[in-house]
Order: sequence, then structure tokens, then C-alpha cells
Amino acid sequence: MTLRPALRPKPRPAAETARTPGPRKHGTRPGTGGRSRPARRRGRRGTGRKPRLAIAVTAAFFALLYLPIGVVVLFSFNSQKSLTVFKDFSLRWYEAFLRDDHLLASLDMSLRVSLVAMAGSLVLGVTLALGLVRCRSRLGSLAGLIMLIPLITPEIVTGVAAMLLFKGVGITLSTTTVMLAEITFSISYVTVVLRSRIAALNPETEEAAMDLGATRRQTLRLVTLPALLPSILASGVLVFALVFDDFVLAYFTTGVDPQPLSVRIYSAIRFGVQPTINAVGTLMLAGSIALIVLALFIPRLFGRRGGLDLLSGK
Amino acid sequence: MAPHTPDPRTRTSAKRGPSARSNLLWTWLMVPGTLWMATFLLASLLLVATLALGTTDPLGNPQFGLNFQNFAALADPAYRAVLLRSLGYALLTCLISLVVAYPVAYVIALHGGRFKNLLIAAIVVPFFANYLVRMYGWSVVLSDDGPLLKALRGIGIADGDTRILQTGAGVVAGLVYGFIVFMIIPLYAALERMDVSLIEAGRDLYGGPLRTFLHVTLPATRQGAAAGCVLVFLPAMGDFVSAQLMGGPDQIMIGNLIQDKFFQGQNWPLGSALTMLMMAVLFLGMLGYLRRARKDEADHAEAAR
Repeated sequence: MTLRPALRPKPRPAAETARTPGPRKHGTRPGTGGRSRPARRRGRRGTGRKPRLAIAVTAAFFALLYLPIGVVVLFSFNSQKSLTVFKDFSLRWYEAFLRDDHLLASLDMSLRVSLVAMAGSLVLGVTLALGLVRCRSRLGSLAGLIMLIPLITPEIVTGVAAMLLFKGVGITLSTTTVMLAEITFSISYVTVVLRSRIAALNPETEEAAMDLGATRRQTLRLVTLPALLPSILASGVLVFALVFDDFVLAYFTTGVDPQPLSVRIYSAIRFGVQPTINAVGTLMLAGSIALIVLALFIPRLFGRRGGLDLLSGK
Repeated sequence: MAPHTPDPRTRTSAKRGPSARSNLLWTWLMVPGTLWMATFLLASLLLVATLALGTTDPLGNPQFGLNFQNFAALADPAYRAVLLRSLGYALLTCLISLVVAYPVAYVIALHGGRFKNLLIAAIVVPFFANYLVRMYGWSVVLSDDGPLLKALRGIGIADGDTRILQTGAGVVAGLVYGFIVFMIIPLYAALERMDVSLIEAGRDLYGGPLRTFLHVTLPATRQGAAAGCVLVFLPAMGDFVSAQLMGGPDQIMIGNLIQDKFFQGQNWPLGSALTMLMMAVLFLGMLGYLRRARKDEADHAEAAR
């Protein structure tokens, strides 16, 4: 399954979402009279000695985290077919990719699916999130629950379900069915991220607008939506990246031809690797990492804290 | 529709009439998204549940019905073995992720200093890159003459016959690599929130690093660890890529069975029943977690009083 961010269903109060380090600066706490043992008071106080073992584990973890990615990138530039011996630098696998019409068709399909899923899930997700936060009704709480289903079930469940639905109604699987399934999944994500954002908005600006004679709808258009714009853009970029990389849902809902790029990669690595996959993989890694970093920085472009809370859904 | 209660968050000034009017706008805004989710998600899940009670005709076409023969078929020892294996692998994945993620989250949260956000980003960003490409790279790393086994042979830990791929260890390694980020994020958040003076107090009371960890840090971050376990367990239980790439035919998990029934086996009702079974297992796990969490909160409230 493609990884989607782990989302916390609980919208949390704004005070908690602000990730301030708080008053717990390590070290200098006033008023700790010299009760602790001086022998341990080298360098930073607070958490004691450097946990050497934990630091070693962390270093090993980072090495192992990046090694597989490094291997894919390195061997995409290999002049040989081998995956163990690097001979010379060459771009032949990238050329092979650009000459492969099937792969290019897949790339085209993946891009189109991601764009449509991004647009569709933003429209439906933003409106749904606004409604869920602002309107307390039974319909609202039910919708809020339905929306969490994709986030707390393995993707294979939603994949199987979507495939059965399409086939049950007699729809042939195609690019369109992938789009529909991906929109469904992305709505959940957009809604959860934006829900906490909307809940954290300062209601006074909207009240001020209303007091100055704006209607509800004008307030929404001129005050609320502009305030949410950074979050909307950032989650849109992230949805694009997630859908582009998604595998499980696409695998269950795609037709035979064309297939999304990730499904194509899956078949390729199951039935013996062609090094072209290294080149495609490298390009995909570069693309999605660029998009994610962009998503993290969008709030800063608007002069706000950029943050990882987009990813962790806090 | 429920009667509209004035929402404190959307106070309208008195001139503006009852807030029910503005509530109508919000309700209408919810309609398209809700309809979409009801059609594509709820209906499709209900279809899976219904089909699980169906049968196939001799041609292999799914027939709706009302019988439990699929669930009876699941009692087959072969299926039970796969289910137990999936459970075992998923739990082992949680455990290993926990053991690795704790020190990593601890070091970053408490000793990361200025680089905290950068380090966390360096962990999270690759996880949002393509899962298949990462798994494929990981399988190359773990392969018989890949860098990891070469290094292990070099220092004498492994010999020429040691393999990781095509074994259960390979599958679990794949699952850990796939989902460990879900353990790191909640643990990091919990450790960040933790009051460092607690650790100091532990040290002031002459607790060694290990004792301080066990009696102070661990209890303070238990909820983060529990949340991480749930977030790792869910996708690990349903994954079929890891078992396919890293394991052999003897390591298949329930996800592989489901995939097989829908694609090669062409037995959709049985596949649906398997899906329902997996959901049931996960639901039980979630229920246990939620009850624990509620009990934890109650205990906290008790302690605060």
C-alpha cells in the first residue's frame, strides 16, 4: 500500500497544535539547587549523559533508511544490467525509459489521475470539512465517522470494495475508475487535515466581517477561504504526490491498459527487474520528495510556520 | 435532520436573526462530500459484507445469497495458518518498530536541539516517496549478495548460507521498513510533550539510565507507543507487497490470499469473506486499544484528583 499519513481522528485544541517548545528548555531550570551529583554535570544538564547506545541506533536507522533509496538511485546510473556491481556512469536506462511507450503512457495516466484526484478531493474535502466543523448535526457526525474509515482500515479493504462496486454495477475498470477511487480516498485525507485547521481559525475575524455587513457567503469567500488557502494548497500538493505514488488502490481499480506507473513498477519487480525500473523509480522518488518538501514550505510562503503537522495530521 | 442548535462557534450577532439560517449554509456545504463518501465508500463496503455471504456458480461468477459457507471454509487449517502468520508478523513488526523507534525518537526529541525538525523531516519525507520503489530498493539491499549480507559476512555474523529474502525475517524486515514511520511520529510527539524535569528527578533520585527510562520515560510516553502500535499494526496486517517481494510461497499473509481470490482465484465471495475476517481481527485490536486508552485517561483523571 502506498503510505498515507497517519492521521489522528481527534481534532485537538489549537493550543496543542502550536508546536512551541514550551517552557521546557533543556538545561537551565531555575531553582534546581545543587542536589544532583556533580559528577554528571558535564555539558548539558537536564537529560543527563548522552545516550550513546540510542545515538548509535539512530545512526544505524538513518543509514538503513537511506540505503535502499541510495541503491535505486545509484544503479539507475549504472552502465551494466547488474544490481550489485556498479561499472560506469551512464544514462542509458533513462533513455530506455523515454523510448518505452508503455511506460510513458503509464506516466501520462498517473499524472492525469493525480490531477483529477487533487481537484476533486479539494472541492469535496474543503466543503465537507467546513460543514463538519461549523454545523453540529447528526448528519455531520455520521459523515465524520464515514470519512475516517479509509484511514483506519488497510488499503486493501478499500481497494477490494471499490473494485467490487465498479464491477458490480457493470463498469469496466479504466482510468476513470482509478480516479473515482483515488478521489474517495483523498477526500478523507483533505478533510481530516483541514478540519483541525478550520477549528483553529480565529472566529473573531469572521464575526467582524459579519458585523460589517457581509453575508455568510461573502464571509466564507473573502475571509475564511483566504485564511485557509495555505493549508488547502499544501494538502492539495500532498494529495497529488500521494495519489501519484499510490499502489494498492490503483492496482485494484485499474483496467488492463494503460496502467498507472506504480502498478507497472509492481509487475516489473515481480517478474524480474529491468534496470529501467531503477530510472523510473529514481524519477518518482525525486518528484514526490520535491512535492512533499514543497508542501511543507507552502505555509512559510504565506509567512506562517511551515510544519510537519500536515503529515502527522496533528 | 436534527433540530438546529445554535453553535457557540458561529455566533451571529443579534441583528442577524437566528443562527439556524447560517447553519443551513454549512449543512448544504456538507452534502456533496457526504453523498460521495456514502456512494463510493459506504456502499462498496456494504457490498463486500453482502458478497461474503454469497456463493459462486460453476462458472465462477459471484452469486448473492445468504449462507455462511465462505466463513465455514475459512476454518480450513491452511487459512488459519495464514491468519495466524499474518497476526504474528504484524505483531512482530510492531515490536521491532517499537524497539527501534524509541531510541530514534528519544534522541531526536531530547538531544536533537536545533536539528529536531530537520531530522524528523529526514525520516518522514522518504516514507512519503513511492512505497514500491522503497520496498524494491530494500529487497536489493537484503538480497543474497546485497550490501547488508556482504557486510554481515565480512564481520563474520553471517555465513554463505544465510539468507534474508524468501524467509519470514525478510517479510518482517519489509513490513518494518514500510511502516516504522508511523511508530516514530506518535512516539516523537509524546517524548516532545514529556516534561524533561521528570527525567532529571529520576536522575536526582539516583536512578540509572535504564531504571529512569523504565520507570519515568516509558510510562510517560505509553500512549504514544500504543498509538504507534495501532498505526503500524493496521497497514502491516493488510500488506501483501512485502510478503510477495521478500518472502517465498511459505510466507504468504492474509493480504496475499485476498489478492489471489480476487485476481487469480476468481472467487470473490471467498475473498470478501477473507476481507471481513481481517477487518474483524483489526476491529478487535482497535477495540482493545480504545478501551486501554479510555482506562488510561480515567487513571490520569484519578491521579490528578
